[in-house]
Amino acid sequence: MATETSTGNEPDESGRAGIASKAKWYVLSYPLVWLLVVFLVPLGMLVVFSFWVNIPGGQYRPGLTFENYVRFLTQSVYLQQLWVTVELALVTSAFSLVLGYPLAYYLAHLDRPWLRSTLLITIISSLWITYVIRAYAWQVILASGGIVSSIGVATGVLESQTSFYPGYWGLIVGMVYVFLPFMVLTLYSSLRNLDGELLEASKNLGAGPLRTFRKVTLPLTKNGITSGTALVFILALGSYVLPRLLGDASLRTLPVLIEQQIMSESNYPFGAAMSIGLVVVVLAFLWLLVNVTDVSAGGLGGADVASDDDDVQRPDSGAFSSVGAGLRSVAGAFGLTGIVGRVLAAGSDVVTAVGPETRESVIRVGLKGYVGAVMTYIAAPLVIIVAVSFTPEEFLTFPPDGFSLRWYVTFFTDSGWVVSLLNSLAIAVAAAVLATSIGGVLAFALDRFEYRFESVLGAFGVLPILIPPVIIGVAFLVFFLELGIAGNQLSIVVAHGIFYAPFPFILITQGLGELNRSYEEAAMNLGASPIRTIRTITYPLLRANVVSGALFAFILSLNEYIIAWLLSLFLVDTIPIHIFNQLRYSYPPTIAAASTVFILLTVVVMTSIDRLSGGIWQ
Amino acid sequence: MSGITLSGLTKRYGSDVLAVDEVDLQIESGEFVTLVGPSGCGKTTTLRTIAGFETPTGGTVRIGGRNVTDAPPYERNTGMVFQDFALFPHMTVHENVAYGMEAEGGYTQAEIDDRVEEMLDLVELPGFGNRYPDQLSGGQQQRIALARALAPEPDALLLDEPLASLDKKLREQMQVELRRIQEEIGITTVFVTHNQEEALTMSDRLAVMNEGRFEQVGPPGEVYDRPNSRFVADFIGTANIFESSVAGVENGYATVDSEGTAIEAVAGGGVQPGDDVSVIVRPERFRFASEAAESDAGHAENVFEGEITFKRHLGSSVESRLETVDGRELVVAHRSGLHEHEPGDSVTVSVDADDCRLVTR
Repeated sequence: MATETSTGNEPDESGRAGIASKAKWYVLSYPLVWLLVVFLVPLGMLVVFSFWVNIPGGQYRPGLTFENYVRFLTQSVYLQQLWVTVELALVTSAFSLVLGYPLAYYLAHLDRPWLRSTLLITIISSLWITYVIRAYAWQVILASGGIVSSIGVATGVLESQTSFYPGYWGLIVGMVYVFLPFMVLTLYSSLRNLDGELLEASKNLGAGPLRTFRKVTLPLTKNGITSGTALVFILALGSYVLPRLLGDASLRTLPVLIEQQIMSESNYPFGAAMSIGLVVVVLAFLWLLVNVTDVSAGGLGGADVASDDDDVQRPDSGAFSSVGAGLRSVAGAFGLTGIVGRVLAAGSDVVTAVGPETRESVIRVGLKGYVGAVMTYIAAPLVIIVAVSFTPEEFLTFPPDGFSLRWYVTFFTDSGWVVSLLNSLAIAVAAAVLATSIGGVLAFALDRFEYRFESVLGAFGVLPILIPPVIIGVAFLVFFLELGIAGNQLSIVVAHGIFYAPFPFILITQGLGELNRSYEEAAMNLGASPIRTIRTITYPLLRANVVSGALFAFILSLNEYIIAWLLSLFLVDTIPIHIFNQLRYSYPPTIAAASTVFILLTVVVMTSIDRLSGGIWQ
Repeated sequence: MSGITLSGLTKRYGSDVLAVDEVDLQIESGEFVTLVGPSGCGKTTTLRTIAGFETPTGGTVRIGGRNVTDAPPYERNTGMVFQDFALFPHMTVHENVAYGMEAEGGYTQAEIDDRVEEMLDLVELPGFGNRYPDQLSGGQQQRIALARALAPEPDALLLDEPLASLDKKLREQMQVELRRIQEEIGITTVFVTHNQEEALTMSDRLAVMNEGRFEQVGPPGEVYDRPNSRFVADFIGTANIFESSVAGVENGYATVDSEGTAIEAVAGGGVQPGDDVSVIVRPERFRFASEAAESDAGHAENVFEGEITFKRHLGSSVESRLETVDGRELVVAHRSGLHEHEPGDSVTVSVDADDCRLVTR
């Protein structure tokens, strides 16, 4: 019976008595103030700053100059690095797809639940661990005297110890490693949505496994492939830590250049102009997706048309699908589906030469081997970090020649590390509370009341994650500098709280959507006031969603580097910042111990989220 | 206990959807009134307006003489049973039933515990206090929902299709049970259903609703036997409807012309020759030719000849469909075991003019 509120001047048309019609604006004002004032204003200031005039030596003055943009677009060094940024993102997406699809396929068809959840928890846990620790893991592996080099020397492939980083392929290995989990999870949810009967029907009609895959599975997961590839591409475009720690000077990406302008050159207007440039690249990419291909419907999560029988539109789905519809077309644009299909067709021709029995087992063994290798690639780096953290030596060695907890003792007694840890935890707790309050109240308001421009408001709830974090960092820095409160914990809390609000927002929106409204009506009918109803009925029924959302924000804030670094102005140390700074000078095994503590913390929190929500990843 | 008065109650959604259209209804204290009608007729909206979940666009709601039109749901002291029961899943049965008293405040723990026990006894589920709703069957959940609604001693009991999700057997059992409990407490009750059989069997009075208006309000027998509109006749029970125009009126009886067939019927007040009317005949009012002799009809019989096309047993009665010689379809019902007509048999049926009712179109 709910109708469009075409006439905005009438009081609450949904007619929920007992809630004054003004209440909806009071409720909305809280998240709106944060998102409009503290999120859009900084981004707006970034645009303004990009036209201001730089005064060498860290000063700037208001003005209207295109000098910054002219410099960005005419100097070959910047254009070249812009291309490097895009190329790295493209290569990373392509490798992630090739490595991720078979793994996702295997996981989706795995019928041992414990193995599947173990593998998924491993993939998901690694997803949230700070890029700093994961880049560091690859430094340990690829360094001269590291595992790869040592094995090379031992087997006689290498003549002497060689370092494989910094360099192009070292960087690609690291980037694919960090972004692969996003690809696997997107493809996994898409493959899980596939109707098993379709596959059986295909086999029943005489199609072999490869043919079934090529003719049924692959086309039906096209949207998942598109979403995953687009997601990895956008995330890779904004990547800062990996190029810094695994790439050389020629591999400085746009985010690296932006950070340098801000933190080293103190040229804020030019840094702002480059940030706008990066936003334009992201937007251009999205525009390309929407306009070049005609794929439609679904969301970032990779829901595919074949299983998309959801009639009920959730409030956030408008925001998602408009972005998602664009994102998913990317694979089409790059012809990835076609390429994979052709490779498989070729493989199919070869395999058809042997008998069907042999063929099936060859495929099965081949898939298992491939999956094992990819899982090793995902899990090994963190396992190695944990292993080397127990070394008794002064320097990292692998395998460690002994067992010692001395680096943990150092970690927990060194005041620099302890202060960083406490800072990290305090910021993450506060940011989680802030993010949950913003996301939760916005979700509640959009669920309970009708507003004009509701889909725009919903988009605000998810917008922050699509903007490269380095830009959020620069925007907030400019904003807080103007307010005179940069360089402290509070500024980082506010930035993280807003940047990660989408996670609680999405989870709580989902919970509210599933909540049966008659529970609350029953409570009110029994005489409970609205406040009492929320306290005794609504919140208890939503607790798992609220707590999961808060834990997500907590773990993301805990592991965030670039925003915290920009806002710290060298004055605040968090664990990711402390590790990053240490990596510039030396490699004490304390870093491995600190990383291990962090990995453990992350795995524990992620596992409890999974428990709380009754297995959201299954 | 207290009655409920709706005056000029109107609920409009947006500018063009009129869900409830100036409805007036006086429900006496202790009365069981059923709002019945097809889905979308406004019956649930009316109930939700009484409960306070919808704000009326116009008119007033009074409960026990108090104007509660603008009062929020939690200040109305009504007890509602929801279609899906809405038992709080994170609370035990005891906590569910105690919820209303705790929200109201002013009771000691002992008073609350006693009342909860009393309620569980009333719904015949003593000792179920420590269970959770998901450990109960559908029928048990229904009883607990009723106990929860009654525990805070509400002024009125509001039932929103509470039997719809139960299977047939359980539904019939609960119809009796619900009525027993209602009479035991003597609470004013508004019951919403789309099931006309339920409405007939349970209510003191029923209000037949269509397109936001009450078509007819009255006791079950009156609504069934003397429907005042074509809609009511069609919706409540089964009806043979003859679209006709009045040919003549004489001695309280009207002769109507229905597509060439003359039918004698009781003339209501104010029927004039030339009026377009519908003649309503309930299936069980027809008699087969063999019975006609027993009738002591002092006036016109309407006689139809035809062939039985279809027959079905409804347990205590048998329903036959006839195609008459002039091509109409009739539905005729008689007690089972009384006649042995089979499809294909040619029969003659008749109906007393007193059992043919006219409603104006």
